[in-house]
Amino acid sequence: MKLLTRYNRVNLITTIVVMLITGIIYYQAISYILTGQKDKDLVVEEQEVFDYVKLNHELPQTFESNDQQIIFTQVKPGSVQREFINTEYFEKDEGHKRHKAGGEYESGRGLISSVTVGNKYYKILIIVSKVETEDLIRIIFSITVGVILLLLLVLVVINRLILNRLWQPFYNIMNELRLFNIADTHEIPKLKTSIDEFNELNNTVVEMAAKAKLDYHDLKTFTENASHELLTPIAVINSKLDTLIQTENFSERQSKLLNDLYSAVSRLNRLNQSLLLLVKIENRLVHDKQQINLRELVEEMIMQFDEIFNDKELKLTYTLNDKEIHASRYLVEILLSNLISNAIRHNQHGGEIIINLDAESLTIQNTGDNEPLHDEKIFTRFHKSSGSEGSGLGLTISRQICENFGFKLEYLFEGSFHTFIVKF
Amino acid sequence: MKILIVEDEEGLRESIEEYFTEAGNICETANNYQNALSKVSLYRYDCILLDITLPGGNGIDILKSLKENSHPDGVLIISAKNSLDDRLEGLNIGADDYLVKPFHLSELKARVSAIIRRKSYNGSNLLVFNEITIDLLAKDVKVGTTPVKLTRKEYALLLYFIANKGKVVSKNAIAEHLWGDGIDMANNFDFIYSHIKNIRKKLMEAGCNDYIQAAYGMGYKFTAQ
Repeated sequence: MKLLTRYNRVNLITTIVVMLITGIIYYQAISYILTGQKDKDLVVEEQEVFDYVKLNHELPQTFESNDQQIIFTQVKPGSVQREFINTEYFEKDEGHKRHKAGGEYESGRGLISSVTVGNKYYKILIIVSKVETEDLIRIIFSITVGVILLLLLVLVVINRLILNRLWQPFYNIMNELRLFNIADTHEIPKLKTSIDEFNELNNTVVEMAAKAKLDYHDLKTFTENASHELLTPIAVINSKLDTLIQTENFSERQSKLLNDLYSAVSRLNRLNQSLLLLVKIENRLVHDKQQINLRELVEEMIMQFDEIFNDKELKLTYTLNDKEIHASRYLVEILLSNLISNAIRHNQHGGEIIINLDAESLTIQNTGDNEPLHDEKIFTRFHKSSGSEGSGLGLTISRQICENFGFKLEYLFEGSFHTFIVKF
Repeated sequence: MKILIVEDEEGLRESIEEYFTEAGNICETANNYQNALSKVSLYRYDCILLDITLPGGNGIDILKSLKENSHPDGVLIISAKNSLDDRLEGLNIGADDYLVKPFHLSELKARVSAIIRRKSYNGSNLLVFNEITIDLLAKDVKVGTTPVKLTRKEYALLLYFIANKGKVVSKNAIAEHLWGDGIDMANNFDFIYSHIKNIRKKLMEAGCNDYIQAAYGMGYKFTAQ
């Protein structure tokens, strides 16, 4: 739920509830005051009756005055309790023909009282019409409701218009954060807003992004420098080994040791190269984007690996369709070489490799261990299957290359085939 | 041939010097920018092995000065930077080749031989080793007058051996030369063996001497003896 919607909802509900409560209180108060007024009138009338009885020792003549009726009824002595009641008032209506009964019932306020004239005990019922009071209340109530509705309308409109605009900086910041990529050079811009909170938020975000980038950059520089510094000693070891084997006359044991040294150095070198390459790809330092016919490149790669396929007696099946991509040839070659050499390396002797290229994807499938790989772990750095001779960076690099060109690299295990799919 | 090695790392410089020093070769060395610049302005070399990062300056500037003075020396850049931009810059300014550290000495030797061949034979494209004649343009190999049909990789391997004649070439170096170091097939050198076996067989069938010797299981040696 959007903050705005949530805010609007809370705001509306509170407004309505508060307005309703005020309305009720308002109604009660006015009606209490006005009823009190009527009651005073009734008491005055009752007093008049008492005065009349005291003076004349008889009941006053009842007459219909405007909005007022007095009825006397003889009752058993002591049976009447003085009280105010809400009752109905029958308004005789001579002027208007629309009322068949010659009048209409209106709500009224009555006072029941009693008087003793001689030895007769009378119940007095005085009723006054409350029609004007009710009209007044109705008008007040309508105005109140009108004000509520108007207020709500105004609130909704204001929220829509103003709040949306007020929150704009927030959405802008959000958008910048979404676009934020720790590896690229785009900075989060300073925002111009007069709202303190947003300024603060923006400042924090800008600072945080700058710090994250700096840290990331430091880390990358470290990796890069470390790898570069390693290059020279590796180069020296390599050249010394090359020189050493020229001295000849080695025993079998010595040559075995030298071979082990060679392969360790070559592994160290590859590892180092992979790290450097990874940094380079992450820094997007490879800029030689060009149109590549992927089919031709895959064919070249298959040729390259020809001996190795034969050596392991792997059965290779491939269907290649034309596919043009816009990417760095250097990186795509690395990608293909990584995926294909993985398919070879993790295959068993006499296994099978299937390569498929069409407009949507490049699929490389191989047989191997009959167990699916952990499909997220394999793309993390230095994750290696047991006994793997690789650097553990091949798939990380491959995925990074794919991401670089907007492709997706996925792993599936389908019917005893380990399947890597590059989706364009 | 006369070679100048411009490299500040002593261990590497010595190894290169030792590998290249043989009958008929003169190696000179320079360990910093000034030293290298004064040498290239005074003497001419068949090939200069040029490190980019040098104490006192940038190897690229030495290359520029060579080109400004229209000196014909072959230049092979040895750099620790495996960057496409650097490579392109070097080659654009006029370097003949670009080799990334670390490298095998045999690879370096093969590249230098190729540069010198291109520079000195001037149009002639025949490489002769005893009875073996190689037409570098047509990529034809003949033993005496008998043509030998080699595959692309076998041909590359033969050239590599001839460039490194008399040296033990490690299997690692051969693998990286033939498949590039991107292809990570460490410890699986069986297919190198089968290539060697094929070349040897084809050459000997054409009447060639057996020049390829296995060297203690570490590599091979192409030798006239």
